[in-house]
Amino acid sequence: MTLALIAALPFLGALLPGLLIRAGRTACATVTGSVTALALALLALQAPAVLRGEVVQTRIEWLPSLGLNANFMLDGLGLLFAGLILGIGLLIILYARFYLSKSDPMGVFYTYLMLFQGAMVGIVLSDNILLLLIFWELTSLSSFLLIGYWKHLPEGRQGARMALAVTGSGGLAMIAGMLILGNIAGSYDLSVILTQKVVIQASGWYLPALILILLGAFTKSAQFPFHFWLPHAMAAPTPVSAYLHSATMVKAGIFLMARMWPVLAGTPEWFWIVTSAGLITMVIGAKIAFFKDDLKALLAFSTVSHLGLITMLLGLGTAKAATVAIFHIINHATFKAALFMSAGIVDHEAHTRDLRRLGGLRHLMPVTFTIAGIAALSMAGIPPFNGFLSKEMMLEEAAHTALGPDWLLPVLATIGALFSVAYSFRFLAHGFLGPVRDDYPHKPHDPGFGLWAAPALLATLVVIIGLAPMASAAWLVDAAASAVTGTAQEVHIKHWHGLYSPALWMSIAAVGGGFAMLAAFPRLRAMWDGTPRPEAKAIFDAIVEPLAAGARALTQALHNGSLTRAIAIATIAITATALWAFNSGTHSPGTREMLAITPVTAIAWGLLMFATLGVALIHRNRLLSLILIGIIGLIISLGFAWLSAPDLALTQITVEVVTVVFMLLALNFLPKETPRESSPVRRIRDAVIAIGAGAGIAGLAYAIMTRNFAFPSISAYHLEQSKPGAGGTNAVNTIIVDFRGYDTFGEIIVLGIAALLIYALAEALLKPGPANDALRAMAATRTGLAGDRHPLLMVMATRFILPVAMMIGVFIFLRGHNLPGGGFVAGLVFAIATVMQYMASGLGWTEARQRIDHHALIGAGVLTAAAAGVGSWLFGAPFLASSYTYVHLWPLEEFELATAAIFDLGVFLCVLGAVLLALNSLSRLARRAGETVSADPYSVDRPEGGN
Amino acid sequence: MTFALDIILSILLVVGGLFGLTGSYGLIRLKDRMQRLHAPTKASTVGLGTALLASMFHGLMIGTGFSWQEILVMVFIFVTAPITANYLSKVHLQSRHFDGQIPKTGVSRDWSTFDDAPEGPEPQLPQRDS
Repeated sequence: MTLALIAALPFLGALLPGLLIRAGRTACATVTGSVTALALALLALQAPAVLRGEVVQTRIEWLPSLGLNANFMLDGLGLLFAGLILGIGLLIILYARFYLSKSDPMGVFYTYLMLFQGAMVGIVLSDNILLLLIFWELTSLSSFLLIGYWKHLPEGRQGARMALAVTGSGGLAMIAGMLILGNIAGSYDLSVILTQKVVIQASGWYLPALILILLGAFTKSAQFPFHFWLPHAMAAPTPVSAYLHSATMVKAGIFLMARMWPVLAGTPEWFWIVTSAGLITMVIGAKIAFFKDDLKALLAFSTVSHLGLITMLLGLGTAKAATVAIFHIINHATFKAALFMSAGIVDHEAHTRDLRRLGGLRHLMPVTFTIAGIAALSMAGIPPFNGFLSKEMMLEEAAHTALGPDWLLPVLATIGALFSVAYSFRFLAHGFLGPVRDDYPHKPHDPGFGLWAAPALLATLVVIIGLAPMASAAWLVDAAASAVTGTAQEVHIKHWHGLYSPALWMSIAAVGGGFAMLAAFPRLRAMWDGTPRPEAKAIFDAIVEPLAAGARALTQALHNGSLTRAIAIATIAITATALWAFNSGTHSPGTREMLAITPVTAIAWGLLMFATLGVALIHRNRLLSLILIGIIGLIISLGFAWLSAPDLALTQITVEVVTVVFMLLALNFLPKETPRESSPVRRIRDAVIAIGAGAGIAGLAYAIMTRNFAFPSISAYHLEQSKPGAGGTNAVNTIIVDFRGYDTFGEIIVLGIAALLIYALAEALLKPGPANDALRAMAATRTGLAGDRHPLLMVMATRFILPVAMMIGVFIFLRGHNLPGGGFVAGLVFAIATVMQYMASGLGWTEARQRIDHHALIGAGVLTAAAAGVGSWLFGAPFLASSYTYVHLWPLEEFELATAAIFDLGVFLCVLGAVLLALNSLSRLARRAGETVSADPYSVDRPEGGN
Repeated sequence: MTFALDIILSILLVVGGLFGLTGSYGLIRLKDRMQRLHAPTKASTVGLGTALLASMFHGLMIGTGFSWQEILVMVFIFVTAPITANYLSKVHLQSRHFDGQIPKTGVSRDWSTFDDAPEGPEPQLPQRDS
């Protein structure tokens, strides 16, 4: 279970920041960090077993019929990545606490961050590739939220959209690739797939699967030609950049390539595609980075370049190269996160990240300079830092591999390293060295400990790994490399490879060339500015814009926001399909006897027809059509009663009353007549559609009602089990509160949410805006108001009816289990009793006398129902299992007590709260429209001069 | 006994039917809305009331017992019918579609329906018992 818990913890933790932000920013950050720390601790507990070479597994069946199971595994590679994600995540949480300003919503930030963290941990711990894909898409979505966190900035929104489009589409390709792979291997479990190398590589589907999976990995890891999204994602706050682009998001593609390495690597296709993509990315990314003035843009392209380096190493296909790749993953994560955080500190303190406006910071920010200096030198590959070690090993590997001509790969690798040195030096020289300037946007100085603690820790790691790699990092590299290659690996990291090692001379050439480039920067810069180059964003927009326009055109044509059009399309489609289905089958008339038409039913039917036709004809007169709708509702409830459905009849009539009252209140805000808007042709067209669909439904109902069920219906089971299974004789009620209690639970939540939405909509209308202006205009033009709006007669009658109605409500509630009634109807009856007081004495007067908040009623309802459900756990029964017993309490007759009644009470409270809250929303609109609050229960004629 | 009940039932039904008929006829026949309101209210109180009484006695006669629910139905109708009539007449006055003059109230103020909402701020809750 532990692995599933590690993956679930960040998701659970994502719920906390939003709540705890009310307790303060530090409390919020502390709790968020504690959750991550807990997950990290759980991971550390698993580490000894993994380092012994075991694979820890957790298997939970989820959808076995689809091959989708929540299977988790932890091997060396997973341990490395999960450690990086959680460890650096912890540092980012600390850093973000001090980085984000007071105006940034921190709770939201931490929630997004934890969602992302959970998705990343999920990817690296998944043993099932379908599960992995789910987490993969979750990272795309949550990174979209993170990158677009500053949603007021257009760059943030555009960058987030681009990242989502690129990584999301790559993810779609990967789904296809993974499905092919799973089909070849015969299982969706990674642990099985990883043993099927021969089968997979011999399959004809190997190449398509490889290309599709690599598309996913390359888009995620920003490999050429998909590298363009990463720099645009830099619009995110720096903690996000530091997290996404050092240790997590972009490393997910690398992780996937490493994970699939045992089955996919080693073929010429793999070698050519992966190595050349990596190599091109490394050189291009490093070259662009050198010319970027924005600190974060420089780091972004350097990230692209280093990812290219790792990709290239994985592409080589040898175990040794894969080991070097793993080592560089660790090193890159440490120095790049430190660099991003340093860049964020500079931005935070100097209010600019532009290298042209910086310089001389080493005097003003010595601490930041030390951290950034160590990390940048490591990035450049200068001894003794850790970047040097892995770069030497990379060059060594490159020197012994041929890609086309023998010299090509070593030369390109050296050029990449040379650019890398150049931009690292430029980062330091133009940012921190040189004279102190006096034109910074803001006078910089070192920040407080909280902000530099995280990068300082990482810089310390850079030094430790650099000085004592065998003691500090080799064990982890060994474990991860063994997991990647499938064979035990033992790495030997050395500082000195000997005078005859080609890597030494390539390194020297790179450092020398880097210095020369820095010296020649102004001239190179002029050349760079002089050469035209493709602008990735423009190309991306040129591709996406027509697609978006096409999608918009299609949507507009089908669904332009006009309700009539949407309904017409749906109705025509359904009718046509049904007609086609009817014509393609055979039909014989039903065999059931028709019931005789009695005068009463004929009258009721006539009224129904009259009212329905009337609504269609005079619907422009709103009040009149409302009256006709009332007739329809009444006839329908009579129909239910006549067809032996008393529960439905009771519900229908109470719902009808509430609905009509609501619509009457809403009519206040609407004109009395709807203007005629559609042409005669259109009305005829709509009539044809409506009559056609109506005739179809009538025919269907006739066909169904004149024959017996083809299969035994489920009703018999419910009727039979109602008493022994649920302890009630009213099958309708037992279905609601017991057999299908879970449905009801969901429905009352939906009802509560709908009421809250109505409330929120009313709130939005009352904000300054056109609706509010219209309401105010209504208030100004209200003339000829009736006096005596709360007549004594009505008020007295409602006061008398209130307790009677409530008693009826209680009665209906209590008898619900055995006779028609129940919580829903009782809630409506209570609501009607209250609505009567509203009507008699005005909304304001009544509300002032209601002690319990409507929101609280809804909440109490949902919680009561949930408590009734959870309560059954205490007795070892499943959620919402019910129990009942008979009690004899003198002087009462013996009566039944059922736990389902508690659930029904929740339904009751929720319904009552929802109705009253919706009514309250309307009353607030009315208040804005000039409705006055009456101080007296009824209108009083006061003689002039007071009393 | 049965015969006596039969007689009572018949009388009740006939009276109820007569009131119903008169009320409906009045609705068509009477000349303005105020008068037309007058007739159906009799039908809904006396007419319906006697019909319900008949139904109650009928239950007694066929042996299903005295139907207490119908008393409740009657109570609710008696409570709600005057209020409905009151509202209908107020709406009628408010719509100002009546012919001719309506009588004076006899005091300095107009009919309460025509009392516009008081000017100025809302009065606070009046001090009672003082």
